[in-house]
Amino acid sequence: MILTVTLNPAVDEEYFLSEFHAGNWFRANKVVRSAGGKGVNVSVILAQLGYENAAMGFLAGYNGEYVRDELRKHQITTNFVHVSGETRTNVFIVDQTGNLETGIAEPGPYVSEEALERFLINYKRMLGRANFVFIGGSLPPGVPQDIYRELVTLAKEGGNEVFVDAAGVSLAAALDAGPAFAKIDRRYVSQASGTPFISLDGIIELFNKAHAQGANCCLTSYRSYGEVFSLPGGVYLAEIERERVVSMLGAGEALLAGFIVGKKENMSEEEAIRFAMACAYEDSSHVEHGVRNRRAVEDLMPTVRVERLE
Amino acid sequence: MDRDLTSVTPERTIGEVIEILARHRLTGIPVVDGDLRVVGFISEKDIVRAALPGYFDYLQDASFIPDFGQFQARLHQISRHKVSEYMTDDVDLFEEDDSDFTVAMTLVQHGYIRGPVVKDGILVGMANRSALLERILTETEGS
Repeated sequence: MILTVTLNPAVDEEYFLSEFHAGNWFRANKVVRSAGGKGVNVSVILAQLGYENAAMGFLAGYNGEYVRDELRKHQITTNFVHVSGETRTNVFIVDQTGNLETGIAEPGPYVSEEALERFLINYKRMLGRANFVFIGGSLPPGVPQDIYRELVTLAKEGGNEVFVDAAGVSLAAALDAGPAFAKIDRRYVSQASGTPFISLDGIIELFNKAHAQGANCCLTSYRSYGEVFSLPGGVYLAEIERERVVSMLGAGEALLAGFIVGKKENMSEEEAIRFAMACAYEDSSHVEHGVRNRRAVEDLMPTVRVERLE
Repeated sequence: MDRDLTSVTPERTIGEVIEILARHRLTGIPVVDGDLRVVGFISEKDIVRAALPGYFDYLQDASFIPDFGQFQARLHQISRHKVSEYMTDDVDLFEEDDSDFTVAMTLVQHGYIRGPVVKDGILVGMANRSALLERILTETEGS
């Protein structure tokens, strides 16, 4: 079973506007509300692709119940620790004319030491049932910034393959523990290199450091619609067409879910990359979150451009 | 079936159970071992019974309840005790492929609101009485 960990899930509210700029009042053309958070999104897409999985983390208040109910609709096993307060709401504004997306994220509810201890007990129990663990996203207030080091270590000790998608200090801590797969946030790449724009050579150099720490596979976003994959068989650049993209919200998680499926199904590296990118493309091509079905994903695979760099 | 695995282990405290029941808006949760095997069940009824020893079985209406202070003191006291001291050991377990009707009738007959669903003895979810009744009604109307 695949286990996803989202310590700071969210309710994502996406507003589609004809145009948007600060300092004015606007009326949305469409509003889409969905359960969010990296692990939650990965869980939903895995379920849509037919993969049984379990989701855990922290939930709070009515927003927390909404997230749990959304997961329940997809028949996803849940084992969240409920804390006081309210699961956060993230707001995304899509300017349909300018093709610009603006996001505002809340910090999330406070997690006490007792709640964290309870989560860790549940986590260790769930690891006994899992063989693959995805850990991702931001940390809520109260959770130590280096928690991912402990989570990755525990998962590996349990014989699990671990996939991490994080940023900043939490990503650095996760890399210390050597996860098998690491999605490296573009901003972290910029911070690590000391420049706002980084070349492919710079990305590959950063990946080599992650490989030295134990990560077999690394990936990061490149330009607007591309992704660089550094896998055991080589380094690849994959890109999708922009023309059908409606919203990129959640597309990153769709890519990761697709890559996990590719790994589970022993696809070749290039095929797994195409499948993953096609998942992201399918997710981004309509307002509703997630992929419509597997067939829709597979139909898009030929449109993915994959170039082997080295 | 609700695939929620919220549960506690026998060595956790009653205080923790109270917090879980309140936060998750539940009336009871399964007690499991380290492998998620169901070993018992703890409900708010078990906790109230523990906080009102000797009185619970005689309760017919609220007028018989002793003063609130005594109840509060007793609740504080048992909140530090282990779940294993107050949980129900003899738990009706349901299998994943049990029929909705069988599960619903068992829950109704025993006065349970929820019941653990297991696969090879390991917790995989919870059967919920009201959700089952709705499902049975919906299936009946559809046929």
